[in-house]
Amino acid sequence: MSYNLPDYAILHSDKQTDYAVWQPDKTYIVLGRSNRITDDSVYMEKATEDGVEIYKRPSGGEAVVLSPDMLVISVKLPVENPLKTHQYFRLINNSIIDALHKSGISDVHQKGISDISIGFKKILGSSIYRKEKTVFYHAVLNISGSVAIISRYLKHPSKEPDYRKGRDHAEFVTSLRQEGYNTAPEDLKKALAESLKALVSLPPK
Amino acid sequence: MKYIFNFPDIGEGLEEGTIVEWLVKKGQKVEAGDLLVTMETDKVVAEIPSPKSGTISALFGKEGESIRVGDALVEIEIEGVAGEEAVKEVEKGSDLEAVKEEGAGVVGTLEIAGNSAVLSGSTEGISEIEAIKDTTKKKILATPVARAMAKDMGVDINQVQGTGPAGRVTKDDVLQHAENSTKSTGTVSQNTPAAESKLVEVEPLSQMRKTIAKNMIRSKHNAAHMSLFDDVEISELDRVRKQYKERYTGEGIKLTYLAFIVKAVTYALKKHKALNSEMDTENDKMLYKKYYNIGLAVDTEKGLVVPVIRNADKLSIREIALEIQTISEKAREGKLSMDNFKDGTFTITSYGSIGGKYAVPVINYPQAAILGIGRISKQAVVKNDQLDIGLVLPLSLTVDHRIVDGGEVSRFMNTVMGYLADPVTLIMD
Repeated sequence: MSYNLPDYAILHSDKQTDYAVWQPDKTYIVLGRSNRITDDSVYMEKATEDGVEIYKRPSGGEAVVLSPDMLVISVKLPVENPLKTHQYFRLINNSIIDALHKSGISDVHQKGISDISIGFKKILGSSIYRKEKTVFYHAVLNISGSVAIISRYLKHPSKEPDYRKGRDHAEFVTSLRQEGYNTAPEDLKKALAESLKALVSLPPK
Repeated sequence: MKYIFNFPDIGEGLEEGTIVEWLVKKGQKVEAGDLLVTMETDKVVAEIPSPKSGTISALFGKEGESIRVGDALVEIEIEGVAGEEAVKEVEKGSDLEAVKEEGAGVVGTLEIAGNSAVLSGSTEGISEIEAIKDTTKKKILATPVARAMAKDMGVDINQVQGTGPAGRVTKDDVLQHAENSTKSTGTVSQNTPAAESKLVEVEPLSQMRKTIAKNMIRSKHNAAHMSLFDDVEISELDRVRKQYKERYTGEGIKLTYLAFIVKAVTYALKKHKALNSEMDTENDKMLYKKYYNIGLAVDTEKGLVVPVIRNADKLSIREIALEIQTISEKAREGKLSMDNFKDGTFTITSYGSIGGKYAVPVINYPQAAILGIGRISKQAVVKNDQLDIGLVLPLSLTVDHRIVDGGEVSRFMNTVMGYLADPVTLIMD
């Protein structure tokens, strides 16, 4: 299906700078730009059986599962910022890490190309769609989603960051709740929005 | 003037990307800043703009194909720029590597955007640009194979006339150049690499050989290799194997010693978890794996591959034998997928069927250990204080001594040998 999730409007708006933190209304599977369902990335039978909608996003990376127990963070920045793509990941992820720290969550780091982890388990994955004048970043943060849902729909990805070290979803992915943090989604949304607002308000360097 | 735009590093430091969509066609006029192509790397999709105005004269690669950073992406004919003007244009653009060629297939000046080529609106590649400003070295357009071959043969690629697209130097051009050089000198010097090409068969490195080389060096650089050798008498195992071999043959399954060894190793790993672990130095942690995926080093015509038997602890000896047969056949037919190589936790290399008693196997890093299986032979053994003829299997175990101490290595080896000497325990445990 064509990508029409809430951050679609941010991606295609005329604004050079924007952000949103939102909670999916139900479970979705979102494929990366080059993912094909037949790429062995999705257990199609289970997705069909459960009636899960599958979308393809414009950005790179592997397939992800979105659910109401997760937050999606979408940020758009102008390319005028003189940064390499990996620096955009670092800039935005640091803003998210800052918000998590302020919410009392510790041992949070950027890992791999663009993940955020607690310890050596992943809690956030992100990707970027870089257009001529804007960089569009989106990420999914697992607040309390069961990792079983990821194992149910997604196969082991064809590419993985070094720190994954072959671990399956259950061993590699975690949630804030699983790590002992029961922060309310609304509080997290607020903390993230404040941090991102400060980020997008920065004058271009 | 022809301008070659190479695929720039779009900022992740990755070596390759996939062509998602061409946004231009051959023959199309473009302005600087017009979008040429959408490329994808591991986490990023980026629309790449044209650094120059002109007419697209060639697109290198099809949608869905992967290309390496630095490889030619697009050729742009810049109109109205030729001769001395072109040279000035090239020199003016000091952020681009440039070369003037007179070779066949190239008319005028060929300009090459190196890895330093930038995305508009960013300063990507600035450090590289500075580096290029500091050098007068010029880069010729050549295929990676030709470049590697020229290097191996000691041929200066800048002296080779290219006959490929846009004057690109090909493998044949390098060989032709080397042959012409030898003819023109009329002598064969023992000291010149080009002359050596007569005495040495030169082949470019295959991707598989490069991968093997990289992995071996990575292991030797990162792990502290330590080896232990021992022999185990396996007459009883041989008796059991012979007993069931025919029955399994009827089912199309070849019951090898290796199937028993995989089972024995798996059980031993459960008792000695350090051998089924890896060290995460980045986070100062040890990862003790509770799954047992045994890699088997398989010798193929193209080189060594290590497919994995997943969850070997949950398989019977019969199922392991079938799995070994399946992955070995796939390996030799080149039909293994990436999934077949993933997530190994311990490796067994069985060279004995070809020859050799002992070896010092290189650990399949970041795993903690590898077991080498030597040639089984009949030998004089002492049983119950009596000299007897026994079937002896030599074992060579290499461990990462950072992870496993000597005592545990010996205990693991004893456990494996115990299972193999008394195979009934493989069923009882």
